[in-house]
Amino acid sequence: MAQELTSAGKPFSHLHSAHCESGVTAALFRDKGINISEAMAFGIGSGIFFGHLPFIKWVGLPITTYRSRPGTLFSKVAKRLGGEFITKKYHRFWWSGDITKQGMDDLRRLLREGNIVGLTTNIYWLSYFPDRFRFQFNGHNIIVLREIENGFRVADPVLDHPVDCLAEDLERARFARGPLEPKGYMYYAKSVRPDPDFRSACITAMKDSCNMMLRTPFPYVGLRGIRYLAKVTIKSPDILEAHEARRRLANIVRMQEEVGTGGAGFRFMYAAFLQETADLFGSSELADLSREMTAIGDIWREFAVVSARIIKQRGQTEETFAKAGGLMLICAGREEQLFRDLDKVARNLKS
Amino acid sequence: MEFEDEIFNDGLSKAYYKHNDNGQYVLEKDAPWAEKVSVALIISSRRALLEEIRKEVLAGRKSPLCYYMEMRQLDPGMLAKAAGIATFRVKRHLRPEVFARLNPSVLDRYTKALRVTLEELKTVPNG
Repeated sequence: MAQELTSAGKPFSHLHSAHCESGVTAALFRDKGINISEAMAFGIGSGIFFGHLPFIKWVGLPITTYRSRPGTLFSKVAKRLGGEFITKKYHRFWWSGDITKQGMDDLRRLLREGNIVGLTTNIYWLSYFPDRFRFQFNGHNIIVLREIENGFRVADPVLDHPVDCLAEDLERARFARGPLEPKGYMYYAKSVRPDPDFRSACITAMKDSCNMMLRTPFPYVGLRGIRYLAKVTIKSPDILEAHEARRRLANIVRMQEEVGTGGAGFRFMYAAFLQETADLFGSSELADLSREMTAIGDIWREFAVVSARIIKQRGQTEETFAKAGGLMLICAGREEQLFRDLDKVARNLKS
Repeated sequence: MEFEDEIFNDGLSKAYYKHNDNGQYVLEKDAPWAEKVSVALIISSRRALLEEIRKEVLAGRKSPLCYYMEMRQLDPGMLAKAAGIATFRVKRHLRPEVFARLNPSVLDRYTKALRVTLEELKTVPNG
């Protein structure tokens, strides 16, 4: 845990976390003196989700996501724990002038006033990342601690120590164009309730997660999304070229394992959340569900390994797209059961 | 060393949740093998595509704009938004003969959007 000073001269303990948004949310609350772990923030923000969106392409590949839409996690945690946050977005109208300059000036002013500020950025333009992290993704969250000479001191939750970021990089990253533009989105805490009600927040969050996974009208999200993606994956070698099919599969695995998920597409992180709630409520049912979630995460991980073998073309005989899709279907079935149980358990919990 | 180990050998590690022997979750820093392989495939196919485009530009079949667009991992729609030029015009500018006749003002917009200098934008790295 690296120690660092904010612009107000307060010590800031950097927390290495798996996911950017939950890490930033947890760090903002911890800065205000509330002890919350990353997994807790993830669970209270109802971060767990699934979605496969074939009609939105990112550099030629369809989007697969294992978490809720960027931005919702933070606002849900803020609402459920009773924190008052000030958020600001810069819209491009013909009368709004140079929004890039306004955005950077506002950031500098807030830092001088002694706040730590969360920002949504484009990960490609943050040049402190090596090549393997960088792709045009407009939902990466970071915390700016203070201004330094020609740049800013940045606590990136994905990395295990704070880094320096050039002002020019940050400017580009905040005002990047493309799908889901960040529009210079920034947020900071005005006041936070000193004794947040974790129990009722957890119950609301669990019910919300079950709703999102089980009762969705769209075929591309929730459990229906997993089944849809499984079907697509099984069919893909017949429809697509061999290389393209492998590239699609690699993208799914990448979204599952790489983009700051904490392993197995957030399933392990959610299991950690369930474990914490089991301690909070003293409920053995939740502890069982946490173990079940871990088991599901292990199947997702197995899916990733099978897919990786297909990608590497090792053992062509036994590993097929059908097997990878089949594993996904198993995950869907077990997750359905898990969320139904969780729904029942959450309804009976007393806050 | 295999390609996937090479690109993951930069000392910047991410955190992964792991179940330890006591049934508690702890954060760990080793990337799983499946992740390494899939990232390596995506990065190597991206590099191969970039190299192919570079050769086509040198052969005069594509414009240098195409190369820099691919280098920044953009598609014509995103580049059009970033540069403030209509998408159909960006797609047209990917043709070398159209690109060669572009105004300095249009080129200037591209240099700002792609963060390259004007000299760079007119050619591609050779060799």
